[in-house]
Amino acid sequence: MLNIKSLKASIDGKPILKGINLNIKPGEMHAIMGLNGSGKSTLANIITGRDCYDVSDGDVIYKGDSLLEKSPETRALEGIFMSFQYPVVIPGVNLTYFLKAALNAHRKHRGEEELDAMRFLKFIREKIKQVEIDEKYLKRAVNEGFSGGEKKRNEILQMITLEPSLSILDETDSGLDIDALKIVANGVNQYRNKDNSFLVITHYQRLLNYLKPDFVHVLIDGVIVKSGDMTLAHKLEEKGYGWLES
Amino acid sequence: MSLSHFQAEFEKMMNRDYFSSSIHPMRNEAFSKFNECGFPTQKWEDWQFTNLTSLQKDTFRISELKDGPTQKIDLSPFHIDNVANIVIYNGHFQKDISHFPSGINLMSGLDYLESKEWKYNNTYDSPFDLLNTAFMDSGMSVVIDENMTINTPIHMVFISNSNEPLMVNPRVHIDVGDSSSATFIEHHVGVSSSFFENGSIFINLEQNAQLNHIRIQSNSTKTISMANIQAEQSLDSKYTFFQYADGGQLGRLNMVTRLNGEGADCNLNGLALSKNNQHLDHHIITDHRVPHCTSSQNFKSILQDKSTGVFCGRTIVREQAQKTDSKQSNKNLLLSKNALMNSNPQLEIYADDVKCSHGSTTGELDHEALFYLRSRGIDMMEAKNLLTRGFANEIMNAIRHNCTRSFIDTKFKHWLGDEV
Repeated sequence: MLNIKSLKASIDGKPILKGINLNIKPGEMHAIMGLNGSGKSTLANIITGRDCYDVSDGDVIYKGDSLLEKSPETRALEGIFMSFQYPVVIPGVNLTYFLKAALNAHRKHRGEEELDAMRFLKFIREKIKQVEIDEKYLKRAVNEGFSGGEKKRNEILQMITLEPSLSILDETDSGLDIDALKIVANGVNQYRNKDNSFLVITHYQRLLNYLKPDFVHVLIDGVIVKSGDMTLAHKLEEKGYGWLES
Repeated sequence: MSLSHFQAEFEKMMNRDYFSSSIHPMRNEAFSKFNECGFPTQKWEDWQFTNLTSLQKDTFRISELKDGPTQKIDLSPFHIDNVANIVIYNGHFQKDISHFPSGINLMSGLDYLESKEWKYNNTYDSPFDLLNTAFMDSGMSVVIDENMTINTPIHMVFISNSNEPLMVNPRVHIDVGDSSSATFIEHHVGVSSSFFENGSIFINLEQNAQLNHIRIQSNSTKTISMANIQAEQSLDSKYTFFQYADGGQLGRLNMVTRLNGEGADCNLNGLALSKNNQHLDHHIITDHRVPHCTSSQNFKSILQDKSTGVFCGRTIVREQAQKTDSKQSNKNLLLSKNALMNSNPQLEIYADDVKCSHGSTTGELDHEALFYLRSRGIDMMEAKNLLTRGFANEIMNAIRHNCTRSFIDTKFKHWLGDEV
């Protein structure tokens, strides 16, 4: 699914990623843990195509092709999705319109018929139930006046609407109370199957307890210093990151 | 600046027997005052960002009877559902395709002024108001008696269509009586190769009267469009204004609203869209003269290419106008590195117990929001259009007539190049 090969990247001349290797197979969930500034979000941004980074070495191969030269929209249409750490407010664009535009872009790319307003509404009403979003939000501007938890549930709503092959959850657990965390985790777990892959970026074990990833990696200063399974996450929660740094 | 050309046209005007001679003294007085001040130059503070030399380049002539329509006028491009059309073509009223909603008194500008013994609220006679009074040639005046609810909006369509440089000076007076309400839509369109439109509208709202005023400025891009609007508001009256402007080589809105009665409410809104080298200017004055009034100015501009824009809004709160509640906002979106916006929101407050806010922002599309949309599979072009429409949508809610709103929405999508 995704193969990251000795990836090195910098921003404004400052090296952030210093040789990342990561291989994610279909159906696998990988978690990346690490402190602030370790390069977790940079990695997510490079996979999704944010353009403020310089990749100096290595490659990111997705379904057999290099991603690096592709536009963010092409990557999205080919099945990459990121749940944003800070979902953006889009004034004046209502959520229904936005979701419909995004879904129809995907359907068009897959050679499927675009949904009209009526059929889309029927479709989305089923989806919002899964993430427990009230229907009134569909009429609001995207993320405008949404609480932190509502924004993150909205990200998961977009994920289950667009049905990506690779979902990156960038600190989706930050700012969530326990109820919202369960709803988000439920949404993700329902979407998990043998074909869909996940890359979960987090500081804490909390979300991972619900998601139970297959692999856990620790990123420190732009390098993956240790990989393992859930026991590694437990150990980090218990001991912190200090024991890995020396 | 040479005004001799306008002098010659003025003499022609005075010799036209189809205009009543009873108005001559008024025209003469206005024209001599205009001659004294002349056209504004960029040295005038209120005109520093707007260059009027193009007014002197073309030798605009007054519209003659021969400039009337030569064939049946196709109104379909300007069609708005559920309105009563009043059509004026190159300054000539088209009676056969005009319809008057019941309950209103319609008269020509000249008849109106005669009935008022040549008096009107000329507190802010600008050079362009003076020029309008000197040359007024068209327009209709609307008088609504007390306690009338006019449900059908009056849709005044001003069509300009000429290969020669024409000037037209429409004049509209709108008087809304005690506790009456109406909707007035002025709609400026045309394909003229050179055109100078200088319209003046004088509005009087009596106690508890309501006027919903919508202006659509979609003149040809060879047009110089001057709009001079003055509104006087009495006790508890409510005035709502929305301008949609996407036309004109040079478009300027000169607007003065005076809140003369307590409890009056005045909401002024505008969306200006400019491309190529268009220049769209807004000069808006709200004058709080008594206590307990509310007002807002909310204007947005979207600029492409090398176009330029101006917003100069001034809210005056007089010493006696305590408990004033006023908001002023100007937000501008630059879609090109070469576009230029001058924004100058001003508060002039002499009272001490008031609530006034103002703000102005000018910027590009939000890069974060663009990336967010693209990361959902929406391509760059559509993402930009979606954000631009979102920017405009916030102000479209101020259009208080659904059919007009959907008409304007469609126009806006065309402007963006969206498939409709």
